[in-house]
Amino acid sequence: MSVSAIRRLILIGLLISIGAALSVANPSFLTLDNLMTMLQEASLTGIVAIGFTLVLITAGIDMSIGAVIAITSMICVNFISYTSLPAYIFIPIALAMGCLIGWFNGFFITYFKLPEFIVTLATRGILTGLALIAAVKDSQGFVKNVFIQDELFLSFGETVGPVYIVVIVFFVLALATQFFIKRTRAGSNVYATGANPTAARLTGIDTDRTLIGVYMFSGFCAALASIFLCARMMTAMPEFGIGSEMDVIASVVIGGTPFTGGIGDIWGTVIGTLFLALIKNGILKLGLSPYIQPIVIGGIIVVTVVLDVWYKGFAEQRVAKLARQKQMPTREGV
Amino acid sequence: MNRAKSMLFSVALSVMATGAAQAQTAYKIGYIPTSIGQALTQAWRSGAEKVFKESNVTFQAYDANMKAETQVTLMDDLINQGYNAIILQPADAAALTASVKKAEAKGIPVITLNTDTLLPHAANVTMDDSGSGYLIGEKIGESLGGKGNVAIIQSPPGAQAGIDREKGFRAALAKSYPNIKIVGAQNALWVKDKAIEVMNSFLQVNKDLDAVFAVNDNMAEGATIAAESAGRLGQIKIWGFNGQKSTLTLIEQGKITGTAYTNAFNQGGTAAKYAMELLTGVKKKGAKTEIIVVPPFAATKDTVAQIKAEDRW
Repeated sequence: MSVSAIRRLILIGLLISIGAALSVANPSFLTLDNLMTMLQEASLTGIVAIGFTLVLITAGIDMSIGAVIAITSMICVNFISYTSLPAYIFIPIALAMGCLIGWFNGFFITYFKLPEFIVTLATRGILTGLALIAAVKDSQGFVKNVFIQDELFLSFGETVGPVYIVVIVFFVLALATQFFIKRTRAGSNVYATGANPTAARLTGIDTDRTLIGVYMFSGFCAALASIFLCARMMTAMPEFGIGSEMDVIASVVIGGTPFTGGIGDIWGTVIGTLFLALIKNGILKLGLSPYIQPIVIGGIIVVTVVLDVWYKGFAEQRVAKLARQKQMPTREGV
Repeated sequence: MNRAKSMLFSVALSVMATGAAQAQTAYKIGYIPTSIGQALTQAWRSGAEKVFKESNVTFQAYDANMKAETQVTLMDDLINQGYNAIILQPADAAALTASVKKAEAKGIPVITLNTDTLLPHAANVTMDDSGSGYLIGEKIGESLGGKGNVAIIQSPPGAQAGIDREKGFRAALAKSYPNIKIVGAQNALWVKDKAIEVMNSFLQVNKDLDAVFAVNDNMAEGATIAAESAGRLGQIKIWGFNGQKSTLTLIEQGKITGTAYTNAFNQGGTAAKYAMELLTGVKKKGAKTEIIVVPPFAATKDTVAQIKAEDRW
């Protein structure tokens, strides 16, 4: 079995054992309602994390995802408040807006050769402001958060059987994206761009186009998550999603996609997202003081990542040792 | 030997039985303020804890880090955990409405603090935000003799409580003191350090600033620090809102002009009592939200001594 497969199994093992420990600690953890809410939480972060994984594979970073969530929610709520257009018209417009923002990010990064962090951080700032400007105001100019009652729009927050729609969308999107990066030419271009952009260019890969595409996808994913978030909350706030970047980054990194680019995949991100959601949900069941909770969450993440890195180092050492042992006899033969 | 054993056993049994009869029904009540680490939310908590101490209640607090999304997550979680009642300070009226409705549909009464949600629920125990804002507007107008420049340090956009305070304040000025000019209004995110920044910019832009209204005490304290270091504290009247202990002390020292004080211990206790009355069946849930207003008190240098030490939070 490959090292990466074993690392994944370790993470899944941890996931299951923490889950088992939590169900012993508090029986309400293992109820259907709780598991479904937990999956819903995980999916809202997870959809954004899928797009972010691709960005991270190209060795980039997208700090604007939270702000894309905010601006998309403002677009939707403006359509709902000021027009009578149905949801199936304005939702595609909102998603297209997410892609457009991603295109801007990608364009500035590739055309002006600017650092990804700076470009997306600037976009984040601009969008945060635009979201406040676009927010629905009352007669005195104060921001008014609208209580959404559009039935079609709210149906995005509903369930099929016990499963929330957002969960289904998350897994379908994960499946499609995994297929895309592992089985298509454009997908392997993403890895090549992240691993060694110069080499990728020399082999004839249009790295600029790949990068722009990846940022557009990231924007699209954030916009998609925003619609589910608004439908769940039955409102849209200009500060939606701002600050959620950290959860997304944590999920992706726990899932085994490093900042250095060139490696990682979507299944890792799915597991990482579930892992983070499980800890965040489980911690609430332990009756701990709210001051202790963030410390425990941080502690578990550190332990997980340390275990992961330790195993990776151990496995690499063993491979190197095996390789040395194999070389010995041939040398003696010479 | 055997007889002694069985006697012991029966004694133990009867002790257990009476023990069980005496123990009241155990309740789990959750507390979700916008943020746990603030004077106000801590005062609510200890006020509520004092009430719950008399009954068999597990009172658990959760931190939402000022985010409505986190509050919705927490609400879902308390519903799934089968809590008996929830005391909630909504970060936003619209954003928490669906969650409150969901909880109430499962038979979990929700008592909101300060910010009301849009659909009927058990009760809303609130400070009189717009009324107190109005009161402060009148006090400032009066002390300036109806003329001067005033700035407002605002809460984040969308925070209902802050908006109501500001609206009340503006209404008082517009009605009674039309010659007072509002020269600036900036958001300082409810916090002190941001308020220092905002106040500094007000001070630089306006050479003759006469009064500042900060929609909470943290921000009023920040404004005081900024005005003091600019050497203009004597010329500027600063008003806060809430009446936390540190601000009352600054009022005694003459650094802050005044604040709208509410007894937060009392407010938290009122919410707790209401929850217990609903759970024990003393009160029945009505068709409309029961609104309980905790009256404010204008604390200035002259009146602050009336607030007893044990009522300061």
